[in-house]
Amino acid sequence: MRLRSLRPYHYPALNSGGPIALQPRPIASRPGRLTAATVFVAATLLLGACRGGGDTIVVGLSGPFSEARGRSMLLAARLAVSEINAAGGVRGRQLVLEVEDDSASNARAIATALKLRDDPNVVAVVGHLTSGTTIAAADIYNSGANPVVELSPSASSPDLTGIGRFTFRVCATDLVHGTALARFAFQRLGARTAAVIYQNDEYGRGIFGTFGEEFRRLGGTIEEADPVLAGGAEVGPYLERIQRAARAQVLMLATDRTTGAVILRQARQRGIGLPVMGGDALAGIQGEGAVAEGVYYSSNYLPDRPGEKNAGFLRAYSAANNGEQPDHRGAGAYDAVHLIADAIHDAGTSRAAIRDALAAVGTSRAAYDGVTGRIAFDRRGDVTDKTVVIGVVRAGRIVPAETP
Amino acid sequence: MKLPDWASFRTIRARLVGALALLVGGVATSALFGWLALRFQTGDIGLALEGLRESGSVNSALQSGILDEIAAAEAYLASPNPALRERFQSVGLETHGLRRQYRRLRRLTAEDRILVDSIATLQAALEVHYSVAHALLDLGRGGEARDEAVDARRHANRITVAIRSLSDRETNRASAEADVLARSASKRQAILLAVLATSTIVGIVLAVLTLRAVESPLGKLMRAAERLGQGDLRAVEPGQMATEFALLADAFGAMAQRLGGIVKEVVDESERIAGSAGDLSAISEELAASSGEISTSMLEISGGADQQAAKLAEAGAAAAQLRTAAGDNAAAAERVAALGQEIRVVAGKHREDVQGALGALLDVRSVVQRSATEVNQLARSSEAIDEFVTLVKRIASQTNLLALNAAIEAARAGEHGRGFAVVAEEVRKLADESAAAAERVTETLEFIRRQVEQVTRTMEEGAGKVEGIESVSQSAARGLEDIVTAVAGVEDAARQVATAAAYNREAAVEIESIAQAVSGQASKHAVAAESVTAAAEQQSASTEEMAAAASEMLAAAERLRKAVSGFRL
Repeated sequence: MRLRSLRPYHYPALNSGGPIALQPRPIASRPGRLTAATVFVAATLLLGACRGGGDTIVVGLSGPFSEARGRSMLLAARLAVSEINAAGGVRGRQLVLEVEDDSASNARAIATALKLRDDPNVVAVVGHLTSGTTIAAADIYNSGANPVVELSPSASSPDLTGIGRFTFRVCATDLVHGTALARFAFQRLGARTAAVIYQNDEYGRGIFGTFGEEFRRLGGTIEEADPVLAGGAEVGPYLERIQRAARAQVLMLATDRTTGAVILRQARQRGIGLPVMGGDALAGIQGEGAVAEGVYYSSNYLPDRPGEKNAGFLRAYSAANNGEQPDHRGAGAYDAVHLIADAIHDAGTSRAAIRDALAAVGTSRAAYDGVTGRIAFDRRGDVTDKTVVIGVVRAGRIVPAETP
Repeated sequence: MKLPDWASFRTIRARLVGALALLVGGVATSALFGWLALRFQTGDIGLALEGLRESGSVNSALQSGILDEIAAAEAYLASPNPALRERFQSVGLETHGLRRQYRRLRRLTAEDRILVDSIATLQAALEVHYSVAHALLDLGRGGEARDEAVDARRHANRITVAIRSLSDRETNRASAEADVLARSASKRQAILLAVLATSTIVGIVLAVLTLRAVESPLGKLMRAAERLGQGDLRAVEPGQMATEFALLADAFGAMAQRLGGIVKEVVDESERIAGSAGDLSAISEELAASSGEISTSMLEISGGADQQAAKLAEAGAAAAQLRTAAGDNAAAAERVAALGQEIRVVAGKHREDVQGALGALLDVRSVVQRSATEVNQLARSSEAIDEFVTLVKRIASQTNLLALNAAIEAARAGEHGRGFAVVAEEVRKLADESAAAAERVTETLEFIRRQVEQVTRTMEEGAGKVEGIESVSQSAARGLEDIVTAVAGVEDAARQVATAAAYNREAAVEIESIAQAVSGQASKHAVAAESVTAAAEQQSASTEEMAAAASEMLAAAERLRKAVSGFRL
């Protein structure tokens, strides 16, 4: 049973962005297991329809949407859903997002996860944005009588790896980010000493850990590593000490964008001209104005990533959002929504079937060619062979920094 | 629709099997449940203990880690040593790791997680405060550092409270776990007891039911069997009972019924036999009597037949003789007839001869008369002949003389006369022969003359005799005629005799064959009569035996009737 063959898989142009040359994904041969699962799920689907699911399929979306860093994720997810629904929905049903704001708070994320998991209409969840919330919520999504898929667009903590059968992410881990950043600092920037200011949370400690490990392995020295809380209010003494010691050749900000901007601003005010770099949490810092010029950060996704698919996504996204550009979270969320829609399309709306279909991406199902690149899951829910790029802020835009 | 026996538990077997199965199932369920309960209990206890131990150890490690961290931070504040700061940082990171580990423990509630998360936040803040304090200290801003340290310590207190709260939760959870375990244990115990009690009750109920199902029909069947033993073959009403007993009762009933049928048949049969045996007895007596008579008759028959045979044999012999005699008679008659015919033929011929002779005699008489005349004439002609003979004699003498003269003349003629001399000799011989012939004629004439004279005399005598012969032959002819007539009569008689003889012979042959046949038959009859006699004797004996057997049978039938009269039908 090849349901996919029943419906041409293409994306209609949105607004007036011109034809979006997104090619249908090649139809991969599917093993009988999935076919059987499809039959099973078709039955479940009927039950679901009777239960009152009606014409819609509900997918949870959870992130810090009240914050700036959550914006792109929300917008891109909505874009993906509207595209899918415009093309006829999934299995003839409209996709609906159930958006839950977790405010990047672990406690809120746990509450949100409980709510989404215990809502029988929710077939999968795209979320969360940060590593901390994703890890905290993973315990919820993976437990209970009816666990549900948690597919994070941007949680990069290594602690997320293998945390549960239902937890996946479309982005690379901090191991990749930290390692890539350390190599960039050591090899491209020629730094041998580094000062690290890290946000004292899962993310900050994670990227600091992998950065420090790789940098030391390469032969560099971590001069000092100072924890800050979100907001970076207490960073002054650290910067003063760094400035006074004057041994560090690069300043690594393992913080989120807001905190990073605060620190960056203070550092520049103090006259610290060290090259500043950070993880993908700095994404969007280019919006901070001149102070952000020359800041490096690693990312799964840069808007000017080559490829027709990304070009189409960029056009649609910016057309729908007054010329805004998506960040890696938005691109990840866009891919995540499509991955879940595909899984539902192939396996039905059963949570377990969606989980199995998702886990099979890149093995018994074809790898997904998303706007963030090729996505294939390993057995621990991480994407395999996902590379990151180091970008640099030039004239308020983030551009690849591969050529120093 | 009738349920099969096993399904409706109508058979003892099904009941027993069902009961046993239920009991075994119950016991097995109890055992299995007990085992599983123990196993799960052990597992649960193990898990609970493991969880408690794990969370306890992580919790205590977390607590001691945080205390270590605080200690290191405070120590750095007391004497700024980079090693202490290093230690503070590394212990802090380790503690975060421990907390992550703790968070991954199972059975944490959402509240637990939030509490753990708040500890993480507090710890992070604490670390930041201490770090800032250290930085300030490093920058020589001791007062500010102390202020930060105060903040840090406040956080430390809050962490302690949070950790205590976590420990309390652990303790509560442990006791809750223990409660749960105790409850589940008592629940399992109760279920186990219930299963065991159910099994026992089911077993007892089934045992009682089975006993009742066995006892009551068994009693009925026993009574039925006793009745049957006493010869009461009347039908038994078994009533409702298990299939096996129903089958057994049916079998009993069928047996009694069949036995009753057999007994009834035996009674009927014995009565019939008794009747038949009586009849048979009478008949056999009659038969014995009649066979005696037959025997006697047959003996008589046998004797008569023998005599008959002998007589018939004699008759046969006589008939044979008669046949032979008749044959002889016939032959003789035939021979007589043939002879008669011969005689008749001969007599006829003789008569013709006699007639012929008589005719000849008459001819002879005329011939003799004529001959006498002729002889007389002949006598006179002989005288002429005498004259002719004298002439011949003189011619012959003349010729002879002439022949002599011719011979003298021929001799004188010499040689030329030789031929003539031969002729002259021949003529002389002829003349001699003529002279001899004339002499013999003179002699013959003489003889004829004497003969004629004799014949004349004989004739004269013959004429006289012929007349006598004529009369005799006439009488002979008449006699012959009589003979012929007589012979014809004889012939007829002979023929009649022959016919009669042939008839006699045929009759005799017939008689003989009949006699022989009768004789054979009679012999056979005799033999048959003998065998009949023997058979009759034997039959007689058999009949006696039969009569004896019949009476025995009669007695037996009577006994049988008595025997079966014990059964009640």
